[in-house]
Amino acid sequence: MGSSTQSDKAREEFLAEAQELVEGLSRDLLMLDEGERRGQRNPETLNDLFRGVHTLKGLSGMFGFERLGRLSHVLEDTLEDLRMGRLELSQPALDVLFEGVEGFQRLLADAARPEGTSTVDIDALASRVGGIARAEAAEHDVLRDYELEPNVLGVLTEYEEHRLRTNLEQGFSIYRLRIRLALDVIDTALDQLRERLKSISEIITYLPSMEGGSVDAIDIEMLLSTRATESDLRTALGRADGVLSLVQKRRGGADPSLTAQSLRPVTTGGQPIEATKAQLPERVAAEAGADMSLRSLTNVVRVDIRKLDYLMNVVGELGTVRAALGRLVEKMRVSADHALASEAHRLARVFGRHLAEVQEGVLDIRMVPLSQLFDKVAVIVRQVARDQHKEVRLLITGGETEVDKLIAEELADPMMHIVRNAIDHGVEVAEQRASLGKPAVATLAINAYQKGSHVVIELSDDGRGIDTDLVREAAIRKGLLSDQVVSDLSREELLNVVFMPGFSTASAVTDLSGRGVGMDVVKTNITRLGGAVDLESDVGVGTKITITLPITLAIMSALLFEVRGRVLAIPLAVVQEALRLPAAAVRTIEGREVLSLRGATLPLCRLGDFFRFSRRPIGAPESTAATEEHFVIVVAVGNRRLGLCVDRLAGQQDIVIKGLGRSLSQVQGISGATDLGDQRLVLVVDAAAIVEETLLGRTSHMLARGLS
Amino acid sequence: MSGERAIVRAAGERVSRVEEAGMREFLGFMLGEETYALPLSCIREILRMPAVAEVPRAAPDVLGIVSVRGQVTTLIDLRQRMSLPKLPFGPRTRVLLVDQGDETLGLLCDRVLSVYRLSETEVELATVLGNEASSYVMGIGRPGARRVPRGGAVAQEILILLDPIALLKRHGHG
Repeated sequence: MGSSTQSDKAREEFLAEAQELVEGLSRDLLMLDEGERRGQRNPETLNDLFRGVHTLKGLSGMFGFERLGRLSHVLEDTLEDLRMGRLELSQPALDVLFEGVEGFQRLLADAARPEGTSTVDIDALASRVGGIARAEAAEHDVLRDYELEPNVLGVLTEYEEHRLRTNLEQGFSIYRLRIRLALDVIDTALDQLRERLKSISEIITYLPSMEGGSVDAIDIEMLLSTRATESDLRTALGRADGVLSLVQKRRGGADPSLTAQSLRPVTTGGQPIEATKAQLPERVAAEAGADMSLRSLTNVVRVDIRKLDYLMNVVGELGTVRAALGRLVEKMRVSADHALASEAHRLARVFGRHLAEVQEGVLDIRMVPLSQLFDKVAVIVRQVARDQHKEVRLLITGGETEVDKLIAEELADPMMHIVRNAIDHGVEVAEQRASLGKPAVATLAINAYQKGSHVVIELSDDGRGIDTDLVREAAIRKGLLSDQVVSDLSREELLNVVFMPGFSTASAVTDLSGRGVGMDVVKTNITRLGGAVDLESDVGVGTKITITLPITLAIMSALLFEVRGRVLAIPLAVVQEALRLPAAAVRTIEGREVLSLRGATLPLCRLGDFFRFSRRPIGAPESTAATEEHFVIVVAVGNRRLGLCVDRLAGQQDIVIKGLGRSLSQVQGISGATDLGDQRLVLVVDAAAIVEETLLGRTSHMLARGLS
Repeated sequence: MSGERAIVRAAGERVSRVEEAGMREFLGFMLGEETYALPLSCIREILRMPAVAEVPRAAPDVLGIVSVRGQVTTLIDLRQRMSLPKLPFGPRTRVLLVDQGDETLGLLCDRVLSVYRLSETEVELATVLGNEASSYVMGIGRPGARRVPRGGAVAQEILILLDPIALLKRHGHG
């Protein structure tokens, strides 16, 4: 498992997901069946089934499981007819639905097996499922719906034709078996064949074929009617060397007389079918049919992420125990028996190492490749491009980069908004691109890579880019920003106006070249994850959006510090450095404090003021005098840097971050809290929000107003 | 603390029986000089005042957060919410853990009294207070006959019965 490749992983994910869906379908179907028995029909159950099959179809298509897709497709059509009341939900219909769901299970079992050995005759199954619809539609002759050429139908006796029709109406599959029998043993051979087939099928007719044959042998063609699968039929045939093919349903109900030629492949196309047969060990097929339904198909366990969160919490608690243990051991070294102390020290180290392994293991379970997400994005790109009549080439690199499952989930909406906008508003139609000298097919590139403990996702298009003049105009028109403010904004700040809620929902700006709906959602979601979004755009050249995210939210190294007597934590991932505040080097630029640090200007934020902390924390004695800010923590979020002025640094620790309750969801600048092990909670600051508010204060002030 | 928890648990088990008998149980507590009560069924636990971490920029009646067996729990200063005068916390200050939707909140009170079983006749509806009554006052409890102090006709106890849903609603997405 550990060495499985990315595509294996995606495949496993799909199989697990599909398995879950199919199990859901089974349950729904059972409910439907039970309801029918008791005469209580719940249309919702049918709808659930329909939705389930629909989802499965989508997934199958996405992951290239063509056979699953085909079966889903016919099942979906049938369910749609049932749902719409175009078709009566009869017992035979239910039977076939059950058979279809069972078919899914077997197909999934096949997919889970190493190489393309298949035990399911998808065509037969599909046609039986699709067959309910036809069988139920009373007024027209089912025989017309199948690829049976007139010269075959013509030679059937009246009884044979009746049997054929009845069987088709009942949803049986009709197979055509073409078999070569030596002339000298033809009688016994035919008898044997009949014996073998009788147990699982009805022989409608057999006739000598006009074609093929040789001096000492003759080709016999049979029509068999059966509920068994093709593989069962093949098993029954045993050694007999025949070409078996399903009589297909006619597409679009064309007139039978016109499709005579289309039958050729059935009689002459024996080779491919034989090839299939050769690959199929009969034993496997028989065994598979017998016990497949009870066996699990993948060894993937799907785990509720909350269970992992819980586990992670426990690991975090253990981490604090380890820290306490370490302190104890240090004390022992000074005071207690030396031999005992070094033994304790050794044990504490072993404990620490194993704990780190457990932690790593739990984290690893949470990690999923971004390709899972990108695959879904690809589907959206195709869809939107088609809807917009634009040609877009999607280039994905770095799909193997792994992130926490939670983050991957939360990324789905922002990614969707971004690609949708890129195609909607960024990409020009082909003619326009041509006239601009750009390639007719636009390129949307998604690139992901790991950078330290962060993952960076870049989405760039070669569309028309964002015209800041139009942004300015729209912001004023929408009353989001005043003329005065807008004229002060830098180009970067102007681009960031795109992320303001009022801006993106404004219908008046959909004609604006650049981004439209939902960019505020993008920003909010990413920021909530402790990430950052940066936007670069050149008019006429394109737009690039860079998302920077922590790899995991579950556990992180943090720097502890004190501000006015309160201990706070900041994820180490955003900290570039921490240094003593050289008071003399602080300057103000337009009223904002900055620090000249190695020749670069670093804006400062006094955290005590930012959080409006009183000089004295709750319960602290009066004498705790106000301390001065002596240290600067330099944080970098995306491409912005900010110095946080704090009183004291208090060390580094691995923390498990816990979200604040819903009642505090409005609080800005705090991303959660962590328990340091002494039952006292420490707040974890949200560096991204602080940077945002401090550096883009004006726009976020507006943003806050827009929200309220 | 364990004694108080035992009260709650034992009482919880009795709730259904009591309700069948047309009675309801309330937990009485003090906020400043006034006696309030919440339905016992909504109270999960009573805690001593734990170490509080202050949350900057939170609503004024949010005192901070505490860790209750690893769960981050928001503490609400009930006095502040009920617009009562501010007082320092004392040794009898307690936290009532109350479930509110998908989160558990801690409500701070000055002192926990006891469990009151009130029959319908012992409850006056909030309408007696006219329009002045806050939306979260359900009614007035008069644990009368059963609990008249030995002294006779001395001031009878009055419980301000709070509606936990209305009381905590403002802390949703407000």
